[in-house]
Amino acid sequence: MMGTMTIFKKELKGFYLSPSFYIIGFLVAVVLSWSYPIQLNLFSQLLANYMFQQNLPQQQLNIHYALFLRHMSYLNLMLIFVVPALTMRLFAEEKKLRTFDLLLTSPVTSSEIVLGKYFAALAAVGGMVLLALLYPMATRTMTQFNWAPLLIAFFGIFLVGAAYAAMDMFCSSLTENALVAYGTSVAFNLSIWFIGAGAELTDSQAARMVFEHISMNTHLGSWAEGTIRTSALVFLFSVIALFCFLAERVVESSRWR
Amino acid sequence: MIEVRDLTKDYGPRRAINMINFTVNKGEVVGFLGPNGAGKSTTMKIITGFMAPTSGVAKIAGFDVFESPLEVKKRIGYLPETPPVYTDMYVRDYLKYVADLKKVPREKIKTQIDMALEKTNLGSVQKRLIQNLSKGYRQRVGIAQALVSDPEVLVLDEPTVGLDPKQVAEIRDLIKVLRGHHTIILSTHILSEVQATCERVIIIHQGRIVAQDRIENLAVQNQGQSRLNIRLRKDVADLKTLLGGIEGVVSANQGASRHDWEVHIRGTDEVVDAISSRVVKEGLGLLELSPHKVDLEDVFLKLTYGQDQAGVQP
Repeated sequence: MMGTMTIFKKELKGFYLSPSFYIIGFLVAVVLSWSYPIQLNLFSQLLANYMFQQNLPQQQLNIHYALFLRHMSYLNLMLIFVVPALTMRLFAEEKKLRTFDLLLTSPVTSSEIVLGKYFAALAAVGGMVLLALLYPMATRTMTQFNWAPLLIAFFGIFLVGAAYAAMDMFCSSLTENALVAYGTSVAFNLSIWFIGAGAELTDSQAARMVFEHISMNTHLGSWAEGTIRTSALVFLFSVIALFCFLAERVVESSRWR
Repeated sequence: MIEVRDLTKDYGPRRAINMINFTVNKGEVVGFLGPNGAGKSTTMKIITGFMAPTSGVAKIAGFDVFESPLEVKKRIGYLPETPPVYTDMYVRDYLKYVADLKKVPREKIKTQIDMALEKTNLGSVQKRLIQNLSKGYRQRVGIAQALVSDPEVLVLDEPTVGLDPKQVAEIRDLIKVLRGHHTIILSTHILSEVQATCERVIIIHQGRIVAQDRIENLAVQNQGQSRLNIRLRKDVADLKTLLGGIEGVVSANQGASRHDWEVHIRGTDEVVDAISSRVVKEGLGLLELSPHKVDLEDVFLKLTYGQDQAGVQP
């Protein structure tokens, strides 16, 4: 585990001491600073004259649904493109610079290498999620709401980011070209998001159940109301474990190829 | 210290190295010599545990590279062909990272880094970003990286490639300093480097070891045999028949033209004397006759290039 710690620390510094991390953070902040006040404004207008609107779903009057869920959707949309930008260098760069040779001839196991890098990627994704959490926190100065559903929702979106990070790290381990890693990563991230849409295409009851269980939209909705569904946890942790395992296999394979 | 038995590695259908056997004793400096693509790097990568052999065994300090890779890697410092440096790190931070990776005890890390910096003369650039360093300095950072864990075995893959002559000399001096304390294997295709730094040489060609011996022994392998370069004013179709009858003439090969000849002889000055008088007597117009000692280069060329030629001829 010493090796994991060493690699984690090095990669963490690589993220948090590099300008590109802050440029990415800045761009995320620009988009969210634009979208969040607009949503907030719409929500306040809705509340101001909801008496005149008949048949308005009750949900729409709940700040967690009407505002935070949308905020999280935007954040998720950005994570799809931002997480690959963070993780694309993890292995691709090592291969390109030939520093991979150093790692493979050091007394660390493949799983230590992968875990060290994965935890560092999690810390970077966590930074982005915390950045997005600032907006609801600032809203607290104007209004009252429950903390718990908000925090659970952000924990959920962090888990989604963690699943992206695992897939994207795997993509990075496949190539020595960071751009190729970025492209395949985005494709992976989008596919996991759209796979849930299969629920609307199938007639079979069983298939529909399966798709609903892995649909990100369902999960996001339930997180926003403060429920943690085990099906979501099982699905996301399975994705994380699977792709960490696959990345470990790819690293290990370079030893016997 | 290093023991290699029947090592074989296939890259797909191509066999990179074939049944390699050698041992290196503690404190020895061994040169791994061969033309490009002979299998030097492959052998080194297997010794360092970077990749697994197709068959055969490699042991470092009694540990099998394949069965207990972590123990082996703790004892090895490896400089690959391209120095494995992170361009966005400072030299000192980089060495600290490598020391951590190699599990150097915490209390020893600082002294080890200082030692590596001092030995490679990097003290003045330790606070600079690696990407701003020249190739020679990067190479030295690569060597410092291999030294920082104070390993028992140093594996250096072409340590002086791309350096200027002064830096080459410095690296050679460094290797001489390290001799005795570390067991060193270095690969190269530059002969003078082996002569300057190594005690023993292993010549590898097309994946096989063609010679391994101490340098002195190899250089005198063809003892008693030497080479004469002869330049004549007149055209000669076949010098060998002209020199027929002289005891000790092994062969006569045509050089760049019919005026230049290379004669291999076995024996002492009397043979040279006999050849020169024969050439003069025949009235061929002797312009130049220079004897040549057989050195390591000849041995190397004979073992590698000579084999290729032998392979071509039926």
